[in-house]
This record gives sequence, structure tokens and C-alpha cells, in this order.
Amino acid sequence: MEKIIEIENLSKSFGEVKAVKNISFSVEKGSLFSFLGVNGAGKSTTISMLCGLLTPDFGTINVCGQSSEKVKDKIGVVFQSSVLDMPLSVYDNLKYRASFYGITGERFQKRLNELSGLLDMGEILNRPVGKLSGGQRRKADIARALFHSPSLLILDEPTTGLDPQTRKTLWQVIEDLRREGLTVLLTTHYMEEAADSDHIVIIDSGEIIAEGTPLELKNKYTKDTVTLYGVDEKDVKKLGLPYIFDDSYCKLFIENTSKAAELIGNNRELFVDFEITKGKMDDVFLAVTGKELHGGVSR
Amino acid sequence: MNTLMYITLRNVKMFFRDKGMFFTSLITPLILLVLYATFLSNVYRDAFTSGIPDFIKFDEKLINGTVASQLLSSLLAVSCITVAFCSNLLSVQDKANKTVNDMLISPLKSSKLALGYYIATFFITVIVCLVTTAVGFIYVYSVGWYLSFSDVLLILADVLLLSLLGASLSSVVSFFLSTQGQMSAVSAIISAGYGFICGAYMPMSQFPEGLRDALSFLPFTYGTSLLRNHCMNGAFEEMKNIGVPNEAVASLKDSVDCNIYFADTAVGTDVMLFVLIASVVVFTVIYVLLNVFSKKIKK
Repeated sequence: MEKIIEIENLSKSFGEVKAVKNISFSVEKGSLFSFLGVNGAGKSTTISMLCGLLTPDFGTINVCGQSSEKVKDKIGVVFQSSVLDMPLSVYDNLKYRASFYGITGERFQKRLNELSGLLDMGEILNRPVGKLSGGQRRKADIARALFHSPSLLILDEPTTGLDPQTRKTLWQVIEDLRREGLTVLLTTHYMEEAADSDHIVIIDSGEIIAEGTPLELKNKYTKDTVTLYGVDEKDVKKLGLPYIFDDSYCKLFIENTSKAAELIGNNRELFVDFEITKGKMDDVFLAVTGKELHGGVSR
Repeated sequence: MNTLMYITLRNVKMFFRDKGMFFTSLITPLILLVLYATFLSNVYRDAFTSGIPDFIKFDEKLINGTVASQLLSSLLAVSCITVAFCSNLLSVQDKANKTVNDMLISPLKSSKLALGYYIATFFITVIVCLVTTAVGFIYVYSVGWYLSFSDVLLILADVLLLSLLGASLSSVVSFFLSTQGQMSAVSAIISAGYGFICGAYMPMSQFPEGLRDALSFLPFTYGTSLLRNHCMNGAFEEMKNIGVPNEAVASLKDSVDCNIYFADTAVGTDVMLFVLIASVVVFTVIYVLLNVFSKKIKK
């Protein structure tokens, strides 16, 4: 698979603080790549270096085979907080930003029509960004990031503060774009969003502490849960596994899915009404970092 | 070139759309108008009449025209600098709210970005100050017009030159600012203090000698004096025509800073002009060097 980002031995310090410590990873073209970590873990510093806003102390960053400084027109970024000009209309914001990429006149109008249709933002084009709702502003941010048709879209916590409906709409748009081959690098606090990724990197204190597909991470760092209904606690106890018993159900914690299947096969009479649930990304994050993510703040 | 035009347009539009920034820029001229309306005009009127021998009949229109011309010169001397500072605060605001990151991730060159702020600041200052000049001319016309066509042209040229001085100086100062707090502090200092140090609120001739000597090293002193010479030239010529002795006129000129002395040597308007042009060149070169070196340090 072709790599769109290749980062090797990247380090960055701010005075005595080592924000990023010798990290290496790559992102496959067309994939959804998630970068997880609590606030201060080093995500934003890494992304700033990737965008060319910060210069690394050590290491290399290649985007599309070249230094990221040279391929700025291939990268689109949706920042954590909107960086559009609040007093100006969405139209003006897009017009001025598009000019930075040499997109003016008819080319601008054509692309504006495309994005306006894709993001359903015809009604907000002439309204000042400062007067838009959070969801509408996010649409404008995404339109700005996509205006120059980048190959790589970086989303820095794009859905923070949005209502579930708007979050869903935005993810639908991102999914549509991915089908057209766009690579998406995501940082998020919402573990369920990361669960749909092709690859996840978890960073803590500037170091990569875990990476893999969601399935690999779940298998490695979490247990499966088998929930049984309509059973007696004494029958469950005989299995010799950790469990939580409640009046209406019993939860058994099992190493992995194959062991769960084996257990069910050996105890047919007990496993009549049941369901198997894999560990969640929250559990992975907790297991790997020892921290829970609540709005980006570790607990 | 196209990109530079767009970034400049964006900056100009931002200034006029941002009500806070726009009205802040008008605070100093408003202070000046209030000062004149409440007591300064009477003080100067008394000063003028007391300096004229009793046997000369002094037309009320000439007194009013002289005071109005002085007000106009003070208003323009202050506005050209304070409006430039307020306008250039956009560059600080962009840094403070990270909008500049959205520009730096694009292929827009940082040199164009810096030039865009400089040119926009100049344009905004010229627009606001030319409107102020027009309003000032209407006021002077209504109370006593003694300006010749060449005086008008020279005043307009002074406004352009002082706007350029304001743009270059404010660009250098704004380069070092990056937070809202710094921005507010500089804005407050310039708005409140500049009127005093340039001799707009009160002629420098009334300052203690030490302070006057110190201010003679500042280029703004010559900007105010140049404008005052051109604004009041017609009124002084009229005084000579009606028989006011040259010594009395010279004394009046001294009292309103039309005559400025550097180490007891009278400074002619040609030297004032040279000082202002040289200052523009020096501040512009400093601004360019700051941008060049900061880029190298970053790399």
C-alpha cells in the first residue's frame, strides 16, 4: 500500500519540555488514521510539524514523498478551533483563503459550487462566520480545508463541542470524501470515532505507546465480555472466571473471542441467552495509558 | 501579485468590519475634538489675540480660521499614527487567535503575508485620514478658510507621508506582539500617549525645555510641525497682509510649533520632510530585516 505520510524519529522540545520524543509512523493513502492522546500528549505538536507550522528538532516528515514544506497544497487542515475570520462572510473567507492556493475567478466559483453542494452550505455563504452555529462553522472550516482539493485532510478534534446530529452529518461527509480516495488523519477525544479508523496510534508524554488496527488494539489490550441472561450465580461461579452478577444479567470477562467460543461450546446448557461484546476503544485507551479520556482531559 | 492583492483586501475588509478595531482607532481623534471643543480652542484664541498689537484690527474669521487650522493639523498628525497602529493590530490579533496558522499552512509566502499587513495598514490609514481631512476642510471652510490650493496639496501629501510613517512604525512594533494583552496595552499607550508626545494635545513650545529637547529627537515631532506649517500657512499669510508685524507672526509660529528647533537651530520644512522620509525608510528596512531573520531563526 502506498504511504502518504512517513514520519521518522521525530522530536521536538520547547525549552526543557520534550513534547515529542523520537516518534515514527506512517499513514497509508486513502486510510482513516487516528492519533489519540490526552491534552499535552504531543498530538498538536506533531500535527503542527506535519503542517509546517513548527520545525522539528530531529527527524524527517515526508508527505507524498516530499518534505511537508514543499507540499502545502496537498494538505488541508481543520483546526480544533475555527481560525476563519469571524467578521467576514463564509464566501469572503473562502475567497481569500482560496487565493493563497492560486484559486481565483472561475476556478474559485466552480469549486465553491462543488463544496457548497457537498456540504449543503448554500444558505450560510453570505453570513458572517461569527454569527454561525457551531455545526455551520465546522462546515465552513471543512470547506476551507478542502477548497484546494488536498490529498491529505488533517482533522484536529473536529467534532468537539458539536451536537450528536451535526457530528453524524460531518462524519457522513468525511466518509463520502474518503470513498473518493481522501486520506484522513484524525485526532479526537471521542473513542467511538477512532473505532472506525484503519489504523490508530496512541501517544502519551510525547511517545507512541501503542498502535495498530482497532481490532488488534482491542484484542491486545482488552478482554471480551460475555453477558448471560436468566442464569443462576452458582452455575456461573463454577466456570472459575471473573464476573459481575446482577439480578437480570451476569457479565463474564474472557481473554479473547476464541476462548469465549470454546467456553460456550463446553457449556451449552448455560449459554442459552447471551451476547459477546468486544472491548471498547475507551478500554484500550485506559489499559494503554492508565488514563480515561473525558473531553481530552485525562483522569 | 494576485495573492498579495487578496491578502491586502482581506486585511482592509477585516478592519472596517471589526467595529471594535475601527472605533478604537477613532478614540484619539475624538479625545482631541473634545479637548478643543471644551477649552483648548479658547486657550489658543486668547493666546493669538494677546500676541497681536492692539492697533491691529483682527477679524473674528481670521482667529477662528487660525484655531481651526491648528485643530486640523493636530487631528491629522495624531490620526495618521494612531489609526495605523490600530489597523496593524489585526496582525497581532491574527497571531493571538491563531488565524495566522491558517495562512502559514498554505503556500502563501510569509513575506507576502507581512507585506499584506503593511500595505493594508497604509491603505486603511490613508482612507480614514483622508476622510478626516475632508471633514476637517469642511470645518475650516465653515469658520475661516485661508488655505491656498498648494497648501491643500501639501496637506494631502503630508497625510500620505505620515500614514506611511505610521504603517512602517506600527509594523515594527506589532511584529513583537502576539497576545491580546500586549495588543490592548500598546493600543492604550498609543491612543492616550501619542497625542502628547507629538505635540497635538498641547504645543511642545509649552513643554519644559528638557522634554522639548528630548522630543526633538523623535521623527513624529517633525510630522506634526510639517502639517502645522502647511495647515496654518494661509492664516499666517493673511495676518501679514493685514499688517501684523513679522516678529509677532514669528512669535505665534513659535508658540504653535510651526518653528521647531533642534539644538537651538531652526529646522526648515525641507529638513522635516527629509527626516520623515528617512524614518519611513529606516522603519521599513527594520521590518523587512525582522521578517527575514525571524524566518531564518525558525528554520
